[in-house]
Amino acid sequence: MKLSNNIVILDNGAFSIKTGTTSSKTSKKNTNHPRVIPNAIVRSKGDKTTYFGHEIENCRDYSSLHYRLPFEKGYIVDWDAQKAIWDGVFSDQILNINTTESSLILTEPYFNLPNIQEVYDQFVFEEYEFSSYHRCTPASLIPYGTLFNTPDLLSSPPECMVIVDSGFSFTHVVPILNGNVVWGAVKRLDVGGKLLTNQLKELVSYRQWNMMDETFIMNDVKETCCYVSENFSKDLETARLDVKSNPIVQEYILPDMSTNRRGHVRQLTDIVSDSDQILFMNNERFTVPEIIFRPDDIGLDQSGLAATISVSISLLPEDLQGMFWANIGLIGGNCKFPGFRKRLLSELQSLVPEDNEIVIYECNDPITEAYHSALSFATGPHFSGRTVTRAEYQESGTTRRKFRDWKNPPPPPPIDHRGIIEDDLTQTSNDERPPPVQATGNKSIKSRVRGNVPSNNRPSRR
Amino acid sequence: MPPKRTRPKSARQVNNASLITPDVIAKRTKRHLDELERSNYAEPGLDVGEDEEESGKSFKGRARQVISDKRNLNLSGNSPAAKKKKSTMNVRTALLYRKNLATLIEESGIASMPSSIPTYLTARTPPSSYPPRLICSVCGYWGRYKCQKCALPYCDQGCEAVHVETRCERRVI
Repeated sequence: MKLSNNIVILDNGAFSIKTGTTSSKTSKKNTNHPRVIPNAIVRSKGDKTTYFGHEIENCRDYSSLHYRLPFEKGYIVDWDAQKAIWDGVFSDQILNINTTESSLILTEPYFNLPNIQEVYDQFVFEEYEFSSYHRCTPASLIPYGTLFNTPDLLSSPPECMVIVDSGFSFTHVVPILNGNVVWGAVKRLDVGGKLLTNQLKELVSYRQWNMMDETFIMNDVKETCCYVSENFSKDLETARLDVKSNPIVQEYILPDMSTNRRGHVRQLTDIVSDSDQILFMNNERFTVPEIIFRPDDIGLDQSGLAATISVSISLLPEDLQGMFWANIGLIGGNCKFPGFRKRLLSELQSLVPEDNEIVIYECNDPITEAYHSALSFATGPHFSGRTVTRAEYQESGTTRRKFRDWKNPPPPPPIDHRGIIEDDLTQTSNDERPPPVQATGNKSIKSRVRGNVPSNNRPSRR
Repeated sequence: MPPKRTRPKSARQVNNASLITPDVIAKRTKRHLDELERSNYAEPGLDVGEDEEESGKSFKGRARQVISDKRNLNLSGNSPAAKKKKSTMNVRTALLYRKNLATLIEESGIASMPSSIPTYLTARTPPSSYPPRLICSVCGYWGRYKCQKCALPYCDQGCEAVHVETRCERRVI
C-alpha cells in the first residue's frame, strides 16, 4: 500500500489538540514541537468576539470567558464545535495541508463508544476525505515513544508497562502487554483537570473573590500555584500559620485588563500597588491536586490513584505483575503538578505486594508525549499496515474490526509470553483476521531477563 | 412541673431529622459533583441554563445554524470541508443533532453487553476502602465537627459561625 507523503498527527484531547505533520514542508520549523491548540470555542464578553481554538491568543480580555467545549466528560458530543475547530487546524492558519492527500493518526478516548467512533470515521472519510487513517488511544502509542528509555539499556520499550494518563476529563490506568492494551484491567478515575479547576474556583469564590466565571484565569492559577503535597497533614498544619512564617502561602496577582498584564505569583521584590487584586493561595495550593489521590475529600466515592493502580495491576496475570510494578509511566497534563511522582511513589510503596520494586517513569513534557510517540509510530515501518484507507471504508461502510480497541482485542498469544515474541510484519488490516498462530505484538520486542531489572536508585527522567 | 414545649421541641427535632437523612446528603453531593463538571458557571436557581441555550435552538424549527459554517477559512483540497460543498447525510446529522453523553451511552448498548467485555461502565475504579476524611468546608483544615443542621464539617467555632451565616442549609435541597 503506497504510503501518503504527508502524515498528520492529531492528538485530540479534551482540553488541547496537539498536532503536527511528518511532511518536509514543516521541517523548516522545529518538527519536534507540535502545535498545541485549545480545543474550545471561547466567547469573550469584553471583546464581543468568538475565538475558535488557537485564535484565543488574540484575545485581550480574559475575564468572564464563555467556553463551548466539544467534549463532555471525556467524549465528543458536540461535533459542530469540533468540526469548527478542526477546520481551523487543517486550514492555512495552522497546518496548511490538503486533507485528501494525507494520512491521519487520530487519538480517541479510552472506551470510546461505538456510536461515537462511527462519527469519527464519518468525519475523517466523508467530510475531510483523508486518504487513510489510524485511530487509537494515546496510551497505545506510548510503546513507540521514548518514555521508558534509559541511557544504559537498549532503546526498546518494556513488554509490560502501566500508563497513567491523567488529563482534563479523567484519569486512566492502562496496562499494556507486548504493545497491546489489556482492556480488562484498565481502570478509570473520574478526576481530571476540569474538576480540579472548578473545585479551585469554588474554594476561592467562597473564601476571597468571586471567580466562578473566570475559568481561564483560575486555570492559570492552578497551573502556577498548585502542587501535590508529600505529607498532607503536615502541610495542612503549616498552612495554618500566619503569613509571615508560612512558607506555603503564595500571593497571586490577578491579571490586569487595562495594562494587559498576565497574572503571576508575587515575588519578594515585587511592588504591589493598591489597584492590584491579590489572591492568597494557602492550603488551596495542595488540597486541590489532593483530590486525585483522595477523591473522597469532595465526596466522590472512588479509590485514589494509588489504589486504582494497585487494583488494575492485580487484575493482570500474577507472574507478570512484578514487571508491571516496575514500569509505570506518567502522561497527561495533571502529571505536571510538582511533587506528583514523589507522592505517587510513596503511596504505592505501601500498596505493592511482596516488596516488588516500583519504578515510575516520567518525561519532560507529559502533554506532548503521546504526540511524539505518534510521530515515531508514523515514521516507523508498522504504520502502513495499521491504517484503513478511504477505499476500504467506502467498500465496507465501517471500520469496525479494523482498529484494535476494547471490543476488538487482539487474540491472546499462544506461546509463553516470557519468551521472545516474533515480529509480526504481516499483520494487515483486512476484514479477515489472520489465524491466531502468529503472535500479536507488532514489533520485535526482546524479553527482558529478570537479572537486568535495574535497582530502585535509578534517577527519574525529568 | 408540667412538660413544657415538648410538642414544638419534637416538631423541631422532626425537622432536623428530615434535613440530615443520608439520601439528602447523597443528593447534595451528587449535585455538587455535577456542578464540578460544568464548563460554564450558571447561578443556582436558574434552571440548567447551559443546556437550554443549545436545545432551545433546535426546537426553533430544523433550520438550526451550525457554528462551523460561520468561519472563513482556506483549506486546500477537494473535500466537502474545504470546498464548502454539501456534506454527506451522516455528517449533517451529526452536526445538527447534538446528544448529551448519557443519551449516547444508552444508545451504544454497552450496558447490555456480556460481562466478559470491559466497557466504559465497568472500567470505573472501585469505591474507596477507607472512610473519607472530613475537611472543614470553610477554611480547609481538618473538619472535626459536623453541622447539626446540614452535616457539613467545620473545624472550630470561628468557622462554625461563618458556616451558619453563609452556607448552612442553602445547599440542602
